[in-house]
Amino acid sequence: MSKDENSIYIQQYPPEISLCVGCSACEIVCGLVHEGKVGPSIRRIFLDRDTVLFEHQVYTCRHCSDHPCYDACPKQEEAMVLDEDRGIVYIDPEGCDGCRLCLEGCPFEPRRINFDISSNKAIKCDLCRTREKGPACVEYCQVRCIGIGDPTTVSS
Amino acid sequence: MNALHGYTGKIARINLTTGGVTLLSTFDYVPKYIGGRGICNKIFWDEVGPGVKAFDAENKLIIMTGPTTATGIPSGGRTVITGIAPQCFPEQYSWSGIGGWFGAEIKFAGYDGMILEGKAAQPSYIWIEDDTIQILSAKDLWGMYVYDTQLKLEELHGRDVKSLVIGPAGENLVRGAIIATANENAAGKGGYGAVFGSKNLKAITVRGTGCVTPADVEGILKLRHAMGRPLYNTNPVKDHDTFKPRPHISVPVDGGMKQAQVCCSHGCNQHCNLFLLNVKSATTRSGRINQVNKCIGVYAFQWMDDCGWTPAQTFVTRENNNPACLMQSNAGVVPPNLDDPAADVLFERHFGDSENFWDADYDRGAVINDLCNQYGIDKWDVIVWLMPWFVMGKKEGVFADLNLGMEIDPSSEDFMKDLLDRIVYRKGYHGNLLAEGMRRAIHELGEEKYGATVYHGRISNRIPGKRLPIPISFASGWGYSYHWHGRGFQGSIDMAAWLPAALALMTSTRDSQSDTHIRDTYDYYNAVREDTWKNPLTAESAIMNENKAELKEALTSCDWQLPNLYWSSIEAEIYNMATGMNLSEEDITDAAERIKNLFRAILIRNYGRTREMEVNEVLPMLAYPDADGKTVSEGEYNYLVDNYYRLRGWDLQTGWPTRETYEKYGLKDIADELENLDKLPT
Repeated sequence: MSKDENSIYIQQYPPEISLCVGCSACEIVCGLVHEGKVGPSIRRIFLDRDTVLFEHQVYTCRHCSDHPCYDACPKQEEAMVLDEDRGIVYIDPEGCDGCRLCLEGCPFEPRRINFDISSNKAIKCDLCRTREKGPACVEYCQVRCIGIGDPTTVSS
Repeated sequence: MNALHGYTGKIARINLTTGGVTLLSTFDYVPKYIGGRGICNKIFWDEVGPGVKAFDAENKLIIMTGPTTATGIPSGGRTVITGIAPQCFPEQYSWSGIGGWFGAEIKFAGYDGMILEGKAAQPSYIWIEDDTIQILSAKDLWGMYVYDTQLKLEELHGRDVKSLVIGPAGENLVRGAIIATANENAAGKGGYGAVFGSKNLKAITVRGTGCVTPADVEGILKLRHAMGRPLYNTNPVKDHDTFKPRPHISVPVDGGMKQAQVCCSHGCNQHCNLFLLNVKSATTRSGRINQVNKCIGVYAFQWMDDCGWTPAQTFVTRENNNPACLMQSNAGVVPPNLDDPAADVLFERHFGDSENFWDADYDRGAVINDLCNQYGIDKWDVIVWLMPWFVMGKKEGVFADLNLGMEIDPSSEDFMKDLLDRIVYRKGYHGNLLAEGMRRAIHELGEEKYGATVYHGRISNRIPGKRLPIPISFASGWGYSYHWHGRGFQGSIDMAAWLPAALALMTSTRDSQSDTHIRDTYDYYNAVREDTWKNPLTAESAIMNENKAELKEALTSCDWQLPNLYWSSIEAEIYNMATGMNLSEEDITDAAERIKNLFRAILIRNYGRTREMEVNEVLPMLAYPDADGKTVSEGEYNYLVDNYYRLRGWDLQTGWPTRETYEKYGLKDIADELENLDKLPT
């Protein structure tokens, strides 16, 4: 099982640090920087909205160090790719055939890999690995309720 | 015109009588009418003539997003709902805006909006999943509270659906019934929840899996950091022993309370709404609920003094130019720039009048808000009008002969629970009467006694100790209550703002302060303070604010982030970012004028709107002094109206736009039709 403590991923901080306000900026900018559009099928970060209680949960890929999604991919290093130096598991869209085996391989519920029907490709968080400023969702979160690393270091 | 970015390109026409669904092209209406209310006005003009009443099957509800919705442009998540409004007195075409995630979901499903027409034979709801639109039985939903309805729809269709719903108030045709989504998001004005009810429509629930593609992604990413100056502060849930949402509200809480902030619209880059955790509920099994509170809900907790005002909330300089969401929320305090030569004036606190309505009670406040949310009823009608009316009327002896079967006491949680139950379920004579809304109820009871009786408990804090008259009915115009109109509630604002607000109310069909909170520069404030009604700048300010409001409701955007007085082209810029068009500031201002004049044409053709009618609607409100003891006479107000009409290109005698004005904004066909009806000025 892959839920180890050593992987680097975007986490949601507890409400004592910062409560998610439900603005959806994380999902929106995720779609914009990766695909140039906004929509639920192309987001790599998932805001599970609590309609009434407003206790929203943010989920995204845990970049597991034992990477079961990578193991499930029939086109390793072509479609699902490991960047072991940075601890990132990412999808190269050029190589993805849309077989969905990575989705089945993800051990988390709700799932952390999305599937874009229009392009027939799996998509997942890559920690904005090619983006100079790092993950866009973290940059644009207006209340700093998500981030990488120790939540106690979040500045107010 | 086709293939503009930002729009999905389709509007669904849903006939509840036949169950039929047809599609219209959005590009038949844009870019000329921009989106949102602009499109709604055109559809209504084309399809709904005079004589239709709010609860007739022929009334159409037009629900429309804007080109910025779901593009990432801040606060573009808002949606506009228009149609004949039962809350309006008399009934007229009107509108209401709503935030939440619903608008974005509709666009993900592939629609810019929808037209609801006809009436379902049985309680029904509309289920939309991308290309599939079905009308399903709401037999098991009818009677449910607002939150329970949404949760039931999630149970039926999946946790990720977004819904517009009504509560029992809408089902029972309470004229102040809202349409709601999520927690405390409401199309609160107009009584459109009752129009849903009249059509046997309980809800619209949507799942969309598609995408919206804006034209300028880099521009939008930059805009998210720039528009409204987001503070990027953390939002920790904090413990308090006293609830202090405003400087003049202080409510002790036994056992303490937890509080944070939330936002109310998909894509907003602010979070100006209060979020109270685990408050008392009268509608849930556990007896507790999390509650979002905006500007009005907090007054249910305590109302001894009226809301105060700081000029910087309304008037700005380059040195102190912050959007209302940063000035008026609890999300974070922007330190004033005291090097600003205007700082002394801008940051002088104007204390509200002492009115002494009800003292602090955390549980009562929470329960009243909870009941309004769950029944689906407009809080303004309840908290600003009904409750103060009972308090003031009782003190003035107006209700000596009124037998409700219990002591009139709005400060009592039990009284309010009982009263709201009677209203929402139309129980007994008084429940049924008040379900018609405050304006109609007072009209029925007798305006002179039940509306115009003067309350003697209003004491100015601007002129310490000075007793100022105010009527027991906080009516402003068209069936709505005071709202930054310079008296009664939020009455501490200066005449330089409340006079333009009176013009905006006058030319509207509702309390226009949800999209036309007056904003202007300090230079304007300084220029008009001594001769406000006479100064031509006052009418100019009203028109600027009205035009900006038209754009907010068309693009769509929140009232609290725009306008930006030192970024006047922002509306054109965000339209271009969404669509790929290249409109100038002048172009988009012309579009605002077009939308306003089309709205005016609807009022003239369908409801016989004239100058006399609308001036007389606001004069009664202006008869009472503001917190500084000032007001304007009928003659002075009419002088201002002359200035306003001249600038608008409207005839001074009738208040009707001239042919030249219609044609200037591309509305020749509208002018032709009005001429045939003898409704063009000669």
